[in-house]
Amino acid sequence: MSSEYALFPGCVASVREIGYEVAIRNVFKALGITLRKVEDFSCCQPACLVHSIDYVKGLALTSRNLAVAEETSLPMLTLCSSCYGNLSRAKHLLDENSDLKDEVNGLLAKAGRKYRGGVKIEHVVTVLHDESMLPYLEKKISNPLSKLKAAPFYGCHIFMPAKYSKFDDPEFPHKLDELIEITGAESLDYNEKTSCCIGCGSFFGEVSEEASVLLSEKIIGSAKEKGADCVVTTCPFCIMQLEIGQIKLREQGKDFGVPVIHYVDLLGLSMGLKPEELGLDLRRINMEPVVSRL
Amino acid sequence: MVSSKELLKELLTDEKLGYCQNCGSCSASCPMARVIPEKYNPRTLLQRVHLDPDGMSEKEELWLCAWCYRCTERCPQGIQPTEIFLLTRNFAAEKGMIPPNPRRIIQEIMNSGRSMPYDEFIDELREDYGLPPIGEVPAKVLEEQRKIVGEEFLGMVK
Repeated sequence: MSSEYALFPGCVASVREIGYEVAIRNVFKALGITLRKVEDFSCCQPACLVHSIDYVKGLALTSRNLAVAEETSLPMLTLCSSCYGNLSRAKHLLDENSDLKDEVNGLLAKAGRKYRGGVKIEHVVTVLHDESMLPYLEKKISNPLSKLKAAPFYGCHIFMPAKYSKFDDPEFPHKLDELIEITGAESLDYNEKTSCCIGCGSFFGEVSEEASVLLSEKIIGSAKEKGADCVVTTCPFCIMQLEIGQIKLREQGKDFGVPVIHYVDLLGLSMGLKPEELGLDLRRINMEPVVSRL
Repeated sequence: MVSSKELLKELLTDEKLGYCQNCGSCSASCPMARVIPEKYNPRTLLQRVHLDPDGMSEKEELWLCAWCYRCTERCPQGIQPTEIFLLTRNFAAEKGMIPPNPRRIIQEIMNSGRSMPYDEFIDELREDYGLPPIGEVPAKVLEEQRKIVGEEFLGMVK
């Protein structure tokens, strides 16, 4: 475990889900971890968009961020599971195919960059679940959340494909459950633990938006049926999708009112941080089911 | 030179896609197919791409994969539908067939360095919550992006 990371902010967290970035910064500060700003990062260039237009050039744009991170000599900390998955995918594809790596480096050279392959890519929860971190976290819990029932929602890109997004077993994951239990909350088993929020498929218009709302209903409905006070994710994109999905469902007369929070929110609350120090007042769904059980 | 066409050809060879048993694990695992089965079925899409990757350009379903990788994770034959679909979209893009939403977001990324629009109000809100400003992505970075993809790509997403 490192005590300093090159912060890869990502578009969703830094522009749309600001509350989540507030939580990350305050929790990591309380854990004594430094996040260094890097000027030259840009969007991770998700494969579902840019690589769909030109696969090789898309990979080069993604790898530009990896090349920038390499120059800091620090491990890279991603806040979003899709940034984590997308950057890890690019690294994996280049490291296993030297012709592709040469091709990409040919394109990067035009911008004075070079991908060498030395960067370590981490995500907020991969850092928190690190072997050396777990005992430390346990000591930091001052306000165990023993009244709270949480439904873990892993999110796709934190563990798929497992050959490069290595956080957990994609069929039978357990690490987010373990992290939840550390805070004193109960981690619930339910049908939709490993479902997809369609965050990365919601770009393509009406059909995919319709699918996204239908899935939100299944995910949130299943969690609520099991008695969940909240859904806990690893990804700001899942937060956005499952909150907006619930707002659209409410317009259809289906009001679930289940808060969707990130694991760092849960951790922060159990460390005694206040809801506003975690940006929870910026969320679209009322947090009362969570804050009333602190 | 490594091109999208070559990479796709590699993934579609008889030794790879030829081993598809038509078991349907991909469709059974797909979140899109779960909720809109009449509009999206990755097993059928995969077979169509195998027969004629170049002939899929006008099909809306080519753009419906949500990129979750569950099918790739579960395929018992190690076929990679997710990567195959991404590569097949390149053929559609080459012919100018990019749906409006992805086109708009890619333009945003090329013009601003971010997929979500930034304005000064975002930094005002960030300041209220004690966060450092993010500002605009430096012009130098945008120039690097443009140099990497070149004029041809920029013309395609215009």
